[in-house]
Amino acid sequence: MVSVENTDFRTSTRWIYVLAAVFALVGLIDALYLTVQHMAGQSVPCSVTGGCEEVLTSRFSVVASIPLAAFGAAAYFSVFSLSTLAAFGYRIAGKLLLPLVGAMVLVSLWLFYLQAFVIRAFCQFCLLSAAITIALAIIVFFAWKKGS
Amino acid sequence: MKRILPFIIILVVLGVAVGSVVYMTRKPTSTAANQNQSQGPAAKPSPTLGPVKTGVPGADPPHTIGPANAPVRLEEFGDFECPPCGAFHPIVKQMKEEFGDRLHFTYREFPLANHDHAIPAASAAEAAGLQGKFWEMHALIFENQNRWKTEFDVKSVFEGYAKQLGLDVERFKRDVESDRVEQRIFLDGKRARSLGVNSTPTVFINDREIPFQMLPPETLRVLILDQLKASGAQQK
Repeated sequence: MVSVENTDFRTSTRWIYVLAAVFALVGLIDALYLTVQHMAGQSVPCSVTGGCEEVLTSRFSVVASIPLAAFGAAAYFSVFSLSTLAAFGYRIAGKLLLPLVGAMVLVSLWLFYLQAFVIRAFCQFCLLSAAITIALAIIVFFAWKKGS
Repeated sequence: MKRILPFIIILVVLGVAVGSVVYMTRKPTSTAANQNQSQGPAAKPSPTLGPVKTGVPGADPPHTIGPANAPVRLEEFGDFECPPCGAFHPIVKQMKEEFGDRLHFTYREFPLANHDHAIPAASAAEAAGLQGKFWEMHALIFENQNRWKTEFDVKSVFEGYAKQLGLDVERFKRDVESDRVEQRIFLDGKRARSLGVNSTPTVFINDREIPFQMLPPETLRVLILDQLKASGAQQK
């Protein structure tokens, strides 16, 4: 049994991880919404950017017959889980967050590139997801700096 | 307790996430199933269909293919710019080839507000209809959807199609802007709203809404066969 709880865990760091968990939860809801819409085959209303259909029905929206949004949901759930564990003092979870969120930022940048230059349409839900990932990266980096 | 609390939180979130996905993607069953019981064994369509709805009439005469007394009637509310409607177009063709005169198909205009070119496309199809070439224009618009949807000036694209179909282009240009065409689109929209249609393509089979996930050819074929069987039972 490995004890990972740290009694010196600082309250401010704890709250940074709580904030990361909240952001991850918003990202999870966004990704789940898109997954459900994809599975139901409904047209997603896109009131801000107007390009949701183009993006969400493009050939990039599915990987190995699985909607890309489902991978996003899995990633956000992982970030939520690790942030929650880190907030409760599981330091190893905090260390795993950095590479995970780093990978998510790279994927988000790639998807942003696809929207801007290949599909030439933006989907507001995808942009929200990218913004959340960037915010998570800043939060997690900040927590890592504080913790190290 | 403090040590297991994060795991409890994670499990609760996982449960809520999985539960909501399952709940939101489940197939509607209860309403239709109840209705089947009251209608007796003669009308025994699939329990996944919506309830029978008649609604207000749409544009008259509607654009139809197949005999009016065909045992199976399909009515689509479509938007020429919507990609799933474009994907449904060859499915309708395939069903017509398979079922022939046993199928009656109606197309209704339901251009969505979030599609910039949906109304010009519907107007072009309706204007072609005034010269007796609705279905030809309908096919051209759907089959070239990916080409014109990114164009800035779609009117000239549709005028090109009109020329290609041998229409009187000057009349076509006037008709596209006419009250008659606008009225037809408005009336189809009125019918759509009276039936509770809010997305495209929404398709009804013998006045019952088909869930979107049942529109692929393999499931649609089963639904049509079910309706044919039910109509055969009613005649006996």
